[in-house]
Amino acid sequence: MSRELGAFRLEVVGALVRVSLLSAMQYRASFFAEFMVGALSAFGVAVPLLLVYARVPVIEGWNFDGALLVTGFFLLYNAFVAGLVEPNLGAVVDGVRTGELDYLLVRPVDAQLLISLRKVAPAAVWELVAGVAVVVVALARLGVPDWGTMALAAGLFVAGLAATYGLWLLVICTSFWFVRVDNLRFLLTAITDAGRWPVSVYGRGLRLLLTTLIPVALVSSFPAMALLGTLEEGHVATALGAAAGMLVLSRWVLRRALRNYASASS
Amino acid sequence: MRALRADSASQIVHALRAWPSIQQVAFSGMVAYRAEMVIWVLSATLPLVMLSLWNSAAAAGPVGGYGQVDFARYFAVNLVVRQLTGSWIVWELNWNIRKGELSPRLLRPMHPLVYNLCETFAALPFRAGILVPLVGVLALWRPELLFVPSFSAAVGFGVALLLAFVLAWTIQAIFGMLAFWFDQSMGFWSAWFALWAMASGYFVPLDLFPEGWVDFFRLLPFYSTLGAPIDVLLGKASMLSVFTGQVAWVVATGALAAWMWKAGIRRYGAVGA
Amino acid sequence: MIEVSGLTKTYRVPVRPPGLAGAFRSLFSREVKEVHAVSGLDFRIEAGERVGFLGPNGAGKTTTLKMLSGLLYPTAGTLKVGGFVPQERHPSFLQQITLVMGQKQQLLWDLPASESFELNRAMYGVERSEFRRTLDELVAMLRAEALLERPVRNLSLGERMKCELIAALVHRPSVLFLDEPTIGLDVEMQVQVRQFIADHNRASGATVLLTSHYMQDIAALTPRLLIIDEGKLRYDGALEALSRQVAPERRVVIRSVVPELLALGFEVQGGGMVATVPAGETNGLIQRTLALAPLVELGVEMPPLEEVIGRVFREGRPGGKR
Repeated sequence: MSRELGAFRLEVVGALVRVSLLSAMQYRASFFAEFMVGALSAFGVAVPLLLVYARVPVIEGWNFDGALLVTGFFLLYNAFVAGLVEPNLGAVVDGVRTGELDYLLVRPVDAQLLISLRKVAPAAVWELVAGVAVVVVALARLGVPDWGTMALAAGLFVAGLAATYGLWLLVICTSFWFVRVDNLRFLLTAITDAGRWPVSVYGRGLRLLLTTLIPVALVSSFPAMALLGTLEEGHVATALGAAAGMLVLSRWVLRRALRNYASASS
Repeated sequence: MRALRADSASQIVHALRAWPSIQQVAFSGMVAYRAEMVIWVLSATLPLVMLSLWNSAAAAGPVGGYGQVDFARYFAVNLVVRQLTGSWIVWELNWNIRKGELSPRLLRPMHPLVYNLCETFAALPFRAGILVPLVGVLALWRPELLFVPSFSAAVGFGVALLLAFVLAWTIQAIFGMLAFWFDQSMGFWSAWFALWAMASGYFVPLDLFPEGWVDFFRLLPFYSTLGAPIDVLLGKASMLSVFTGQVAWVVATGALAAWMWKAGIRRYGAVGA
Repeated sequence: MIEVSGLTKTYRVPVRPPGLAGAFRSLFSREVKEVHAVSGLDFRIEAGERVGFLGPNGAGKTTTLKMLSGLLYPTAGTLKVGGFVPQERHPSFLQQITLVMGQKQQLLWDLPASESFELNRAMYGVERSEFRRTLDELVAMLRAEALLERPVRNLSLGERMKCELIAALVHRPSVLFLDEPTIGLDVEMQVQVRQFIADHNRASGATVLLTSHYMQDIAALTPRLLIIDEGKLRYDGALEALSRQVAPERRVVIRSVVPELLALGFEVQGGGMVATVPAGETNGLIQRTLALAPLVELGVEMPPLEEVIGRVFREGRPGGKR
């Protein structure tokens, strides 16, 4: 175990982030073109909310400001996925096909670290900005809570990110067995779209699914509930459990997958 | 002008003659990608996510004239229309133009766009086939969603669906052809799609927008590709105005697409790709 | 340095019958075919040796190299590299080796090569001062000064290969696995790369295991040769010994045409004459030739390497070790 931790060197993380940023900045034109897309997609998440709350004041216990918070956290989650998770884990799929993965595996550095941090999509920054803006607006309308509450919300958000990262990694690992999983990524994006609304609008079964196997509610609804003071008993434990479980499971599966990995060319 | 017309007439004859083969090729393509097809269909769950929100909102009583059953019907038909009007030409054109792979297609005696239109059309039975079990499950799960439309609504729906299909395809082709001029043209498509999702009725029935907006949105091309057929089937809009709008947009975008193709091909040739 | 015994790799490849019905059937019962990529290899390589790995496409060269570098798990057999079991991928093992694949690249496509070097420096934990020294050395040897600050995508294939080699060597590995390092390069660039590998080996004392299609790579670089075909080792030994064994004849070549020599078995070829005799009779022939034509310019050649190797593949085992 200590050998593994030794492989997680901070210097390597720094170098990886540096080159991924440098590579991404080679494409400045698209960076600014993506601004529009980011703004529009933030708008697209907000418009249905505006419309529905114009007619109904409270839905399943959530008022407009509360739902807006969920939306803000969902945008932040999207920024995380679009900026870091998808570019990196997507590249693994290609790496399996082209054999580029071979070069990653001969490094004396933890493979999961290399796989997860090689690329950044800077355009996701716009979604990040949109998410922060939405959260700030919602908080300004609700009244800013105390530091402890904010820390709890931030902690839950990070736990949610960890859990969803684990889920993505799990899906990507299937590419070691079935070489074409690009479409599973597609499906996962579609399913995690469910995180844009407060989790209570879904039926009982879906609610359970969205807090465990596809833990996208953890990343959007739970932090909002922490800020609103509506967390119930067991929510924090659920979030931490899901995060830990997903991380451990995905790491284990990745190691199995790498062991199983037979390079593309013989 | 006459030459052009004769040309397009011969293209149509040609397309009809080649139809059985294209159908067969497209169908075996679909079969080869059957797993992907199923996943793509399953990925079109966004209407259902939207439905959850509206369903909760309508729990206490109808919202803007839509009760829970109305919302469910709306988004179910939404899903069906979206499936049946889908195509991939924007990605295909973008790829082929940037990678120089349009050239071999230009050598064929059949217009590449016409070929793609045939191909997309040929894939329809397959897309519809995948929808059958989906709709079946829905019917078993919530039988109150089933309804028998009037004869005129059903026929009107068919016409509106066909026009929506052609319009959606033409618009995609236009954005695909932007690759003749721009390196990163897929960004335009993403922006268009974001607008489309809001203004087409994909996220929200347009009726639920504030008063003035509804009429405005119905004039835009977005509505003609999705909301229009849904509204015709559910009896929410007058067929005449819907068809007028759709035909007008098909003609306008068709002309634009034809012009873009001519200009684009000249540019493509000049670049020597 | 490298010990391999009984090394075997078998791939299990699903056989999918064509057509819809076949695809459907394979959902339930999958037919699997076994492909024996490598079967029962034995060899040892000492520290500092340069060894060439030769064989036709699909012979199992790359599979073996990948097993040696820890990328593939062997199906059977044991292997040790520098005291480590490669497939455990111990960081200290990875620190010692490097892998260059001529058909794949590790350099970051959009950035100048210097950025890739810096990333590798961080990954291998090389100290900056030592890194500077190594880099200067490698750059000078390869005459690559002008290449470092240009985005990799703007480099020619040969220039890129120079940078690939530098990137692969900044951590001063003691074992080099080179998979077709000269593939696709023009002749001039091939010569440069070969020269560099030889110089680097001399200077660093690192072990080099190289696969190639190009006979010249082998002839110029690796005194020892492993020939592998259909996953089996066909020959292990020196190149010259192989020629003696498989192609025991020599070609005596004369640069001019001297009609009297036709009697000794010479044939006219181009502007000169050639006679092919068993190796043992070469000296006798030379004496007789010089007796008849004392002023003639004369040379002795081995048969071309391609021909020798071709004979090994055609005839199977030439009777070398194993």
